[in-house]
Amino acid sequence: MKKETREYNYDWMIWSIFNAGSKVLDGTQKEYESLKKVIPNFRTLLDTVLRHGEPGVLFLKMLLEYLDSLVTAKKQGKKICLGTFVTAKHIFHAFDNVVPVWAEPMTVFGTLALRRATTEYMDYCCELGFTETSCSAQRGSLGAYLAGLAEMPDFMVCGAPGICDTNANAIQFMSSYMDLPLFQLNFPAKLTEERVMDYHRKDLRAMISFIEDHAGTRINEGKLRESLEEQKHQDELCNEFYDLMRLKPCPVPPIFQLFHYGGRLTMPGKKSYTALLESMLEVARKNAAAGVAGTSTGKERSRLMMCYIEHYTTDARFWEWLDAQEISLLPALIFTFWHEGANYTMGREDETYHIDTSNMETMLDSLSDLNSRMPMVKQLRGPYDAPHMWLDDLLGLSKILKPDFLIYVGSMGCRNSWGVNKLVQRDCEREGIPMMLLFADAFDDRVASWESVAEKISEFMHVRRIVS
Amino acid sequence: MIKEMKKAANTLENQYIQKWKKSGGKVVGYSCTFIPEEIIHAAGLMPFRLRGIGTMSLSIGDSYFGPVICSFPKCMLQLAGQGTYRFLDGAIITNGCDSMRRLEECWRKASDDYPGTLPEYYEFFSVPHKAVDYSIAFYGGELRNMIETLEKHFGASISDEALRESIALYNEGRKCLQKLDGLRYSEKAPITGEDAMAILIAGHAIPREEFNGILKGIIEDLEKTASKAENKKRLMLVGSASDDLDFIRAIEEAGAIVVADTICFGSRTYSNLVDEQAAPVHALSSHYLNHSICPRMLGYYKSRLAYIMETAKKAKVDGIILQNVRFCDLHGSENGVFERDLEAAGIPCMRLEREYGPLVETGRIRMRIDAFMERIASAEVHAGE
Amino acid sequence: MIVAGCDVGSLTTKAVILDNTKIISYALIKSSFNPDQSASEVMEKALKQAGLAMNDIRLCVGTGYGRERIPFVKKTVSEIACHAKGAYWLLPSARTIIDVGGQDCKAIRLDIKGNVIKFMTNDKCASGTGRFLEVMAKLLNLELEELGKLSSQARNAITLAATCTAWSQAEVIVHMNSNTSKADLAAGINDAMAARVSILVKAVALEKDVCMTGGVAKNIGVVAAMEKHLDVPIRRLRVDPQIIGALGAAVFAKEKMEGK
Repeated sequence: MKKETREYNYDWMIWSIFNAGSKVLDGTQKEYESLKKVIPNFRTLLDTVLRHGEPGVLFLKMLLEYLDSLVTAKKQGKKICLGTFVTAKHIFHAFDNVVPVWAEPMTVFGTLALRRATTEYMDYCCELGFTETSCSAQRGSLGAYLAGLAEMPDFMVCGAPGICDTNANAIQFMSSYMDLPLFQLNFPAKLTEERVMDYHRKDLRAMISFIEDHAGTRINEGKLRESLEEQKHQDELCNEFYDLMRLKPCPVPPIFQLFHYGGRLTMPGKKSYTALLESMLEVARKNAAAGVAGTSTGKERSRLMMCYIEHYTTDARFWEWLDAQEISLLPALIFTFWHEGANYTMGREDETYHIDTSNMETMLDSLSDLNSRMPMVKQLRGPYDAPHMWLDDLLGLSKILKPDFLIYVGSMGCRNSWGVNKLVQRDCEREGIPMMLLFADAFDDRVASWESVAEKISEFMHVRRIVS
Repeated sequence: MIKEMKKAANTLENQYIQKWKKSGGKVVGYSCTFIPEEIIHAAGLMPFRLRGIGTMSLSIGDSYFGPVICSFPKCMLQLAGQGTYRFLDGAIITNGCDSMRRLEECWRKASDDYPGTLPEYYEFFSVPHKAVDYSIAFYGGELRNMIETLEKHFGASISDEALRESIALYNEGRKCLQKLDGLRYSEKAPITGEDAMAILIAGHAIPREEFNGILKGIIEDLEKTASKAENKKRLMLVGSASDDLDFIRAIEEAGAIVVADTICFGSRTYSNLVDEQAAPVHALSSHYLNHSICPRMLGYYKSRLAYIMETAKKAKVDGIILQNVRFCDLHGSENGVFERDLEAAGIPCMRLEREYGPLVETGRIRMRIDAFMERIASAEVHAGE
Repeated sequence: MIVAGCDVGSLTTKAVILDNTKIISYALIKSSFNPDQSASEVMEKALKQAGLAMNDIRLCVGTGYGRERIPFVKKTVSEIACHAKGAYWLLPSARTIIDVGGQDCKAIRLDIKGNVIKFMTNDKCASGTGRFLEVMAKLLNLELEELGKLSSQARNAITLAATCTAWSQAEVIVHMNSNTSKADLAAGINDAMAARVSILVKAVALEKDVCMTGGVAKNIGVVAAMEKHLDVPIRRLRVDPQIIGALGAAVFAKEKMEGK
């Protein structure tokens, strides 16, 4: 690791960047333009986010609220729990003294904002013995933790067993290497069977006991209720968001997808996320009313759905490029949360979760159902073509939102998806939806540069004559 | 007899299986040690551990799987697509790991393109990643479902009585294999690692009644056999699935003898016995979840490390080879932590990454092993100074 | 007392003749399909240069992939030990040796006595080995030897996606189409190479003094880039880095004759 990388803690660096970024529009436009001259490494990212006006600002402020809680946790005598993005944070928000930190969002922050992304931290993991063929999504931030360059977690949870080995393995490595207590949630291969739901509920309660043991406090009923009630409201807003995306042209700017799931993974059930959703909806509604696309030009040349995750290259060039190409970005398949009333759940209501805040038991059951429908947890647990799984969801979502083409991008460590993505591709093509596989890494440009990725996508669109 | 075992290990549809099938017997393949052989056996079927030996190309394997997948299931798919597995009447695929679990879909889809290559009975079976009361109960439930599907498809009856008998039979085999281990751990180990591995692999490819008998005979012979360990460095093999006798031979040709292992074709399956007192399905689910020394059981690093250190001590091991198949992150990464902790405990280790498949890289592997052996030798010399 | 070492590699075969502490000759040839033949040929060449005959050699030690096949060799030692021995003999302060050959890449750690205490290899992958440079040189229509010097002329080195050699070719083509200068490309290639190798080196917990052996050590661009990545000077050895393995084998022969 370069000397300068070791000078500051990784989480503090991210906090510092977003802290400054979120305050920028508190000044005048002229001040902003002058500032940009002295932040050569960040101005592109800042512009990309802030040119959307209020939603961009709220996105940054929301992230800052989260990062604030993370970097001041220890000072405030709180405990830090390290885990992965597939676990719903409401559980942790219901504790007075626990701050959850998820490896992948932390990697994404660095990948977007830092000049060398998180490559040095990724390599550091390998120096310690972690295989280089592991998923880059966790490695990017875990390297910082392993190097002692972050606020150290007190305990860990992992919601990936049964879903994604390589993810769970990364957490296991960290737990073994640093001798930190670890709880794993474990998911069976089916979703809606009574036995399975019962298993989820026992598992969740066991995890809560684990957290209570290590936090030294009990889960707070009032806080949980508040969080879940807010989530209900956020789900309603989200339902409208999805409805709007059915329109042609799609009135939602490409980067709003990141705002949507970025917020959902970092600050679910929090008022700052609700504010963000409301602001995004305003923009989308306005565009819809005017009959224009969410792209800068208002035009939609084609509609793209990422059938797995999105691409997190530095400076958020993925969303900017799509915008410049007038490609509307539909929601990524993985980042569907299966709340009641979402248009893609029509006819599949048994796959949704229902929030009942009557008492602690009903809330824990609701939480268990919600948690077992988190990204990947829902659709990667069983054979890809089984009911409720990846293909089912992908074709269902495609029927509703009508993409012109699909793109798969993941990481080179994703055994799960690389084990069947050719099969998914073949099935989608048979259904009449062109799908391309990107041989690249969403978190590591050293595998394939963004330039070559963009070229490949253009080539695909050209060869397959993809225009709306 | 060991020659027989080697032949049985090196031939996919070996003579024992051919004999079994000729007499009307049926064979059910399974992908990983988390499927209780006892259940298949209790149904009157022969359990067969799926392997990928003998693949000469990966044209089919690579067509369905993506590029960054472990070669073990790819080889298995290759064989399936070529029709080599036509002798199977059934196959059960587990989520032993993500690469392995996707074999289930790839095989199914490949059989659309290569008709007749999918066994008539074909199931996906998911196993929990931890051993707590509700996961053991859940796993027990999954086992009961599997029993039902086996009974239905094969017209068999898998009573508790039949299960008890099968458990007793397999436990008998386990006790013998533990004896074999005892012989290997002794200073005058009478059998090479290659030969021992042949026996262990053959155990997964021969009807158990017959295998137990053969095994007892072999052990009797070995008890009178002279040491094969004279002047050899004693090594332990840890890591990814390995059923490649050539690989072990390459290691032993460097002047070593592999006296112990934790790999899943080896000691993982027999280091503990199934509880014969408890209700059979519960006993099986408890055993297979609690006693599997496998990194897919997340969070049990410490107990795996303890097992390795204990075994290394018992077998008086000079060094440990921590190998993994490329793209095996479960073993590959855990090997990294093992290396740190085992070296700290004074046990020399070597990490080795390899491919699963025909051993074309003997030269490279020999080089690494030679260097490791030199290191062990010089460490001993200097320890004596 | 005259001894020799012979290193039969998959791409090149080397021989070194040592008289006490002096290297009196060495030779390097491209390996043929037949290791016995390569060994005999290179040995003959070295002997001729020294004006000696095979009988003059008291003992010859063999190493490299083809070591078991060398007809005139009485003892074989692993490449890793030989590279370590050779480098330590030339530079007793060496504690970390980075050997980057045509087909693999090794990082070796020595203790104060020159014994190998840890080694890591990367050989399941072309990137981080000489093969990567070979492929890149071909793409740029350059001789492999030109890559090193050319990179020092770079004005604006590119950042090359090089986790996979096969895919990085596409990357280079993209750059070539944007008229990037060969010097800038060469610098990017050398830097990418160094970055990959550095990960392996750090995994053996590097300790000074660090030196490089193997053909890639002749590429000054890669060596300079490695110094930057590892933040440590790389001590140059006073002989051709490609013959260090054979030299180490010869030193083993000397020690054996001296009863060590």
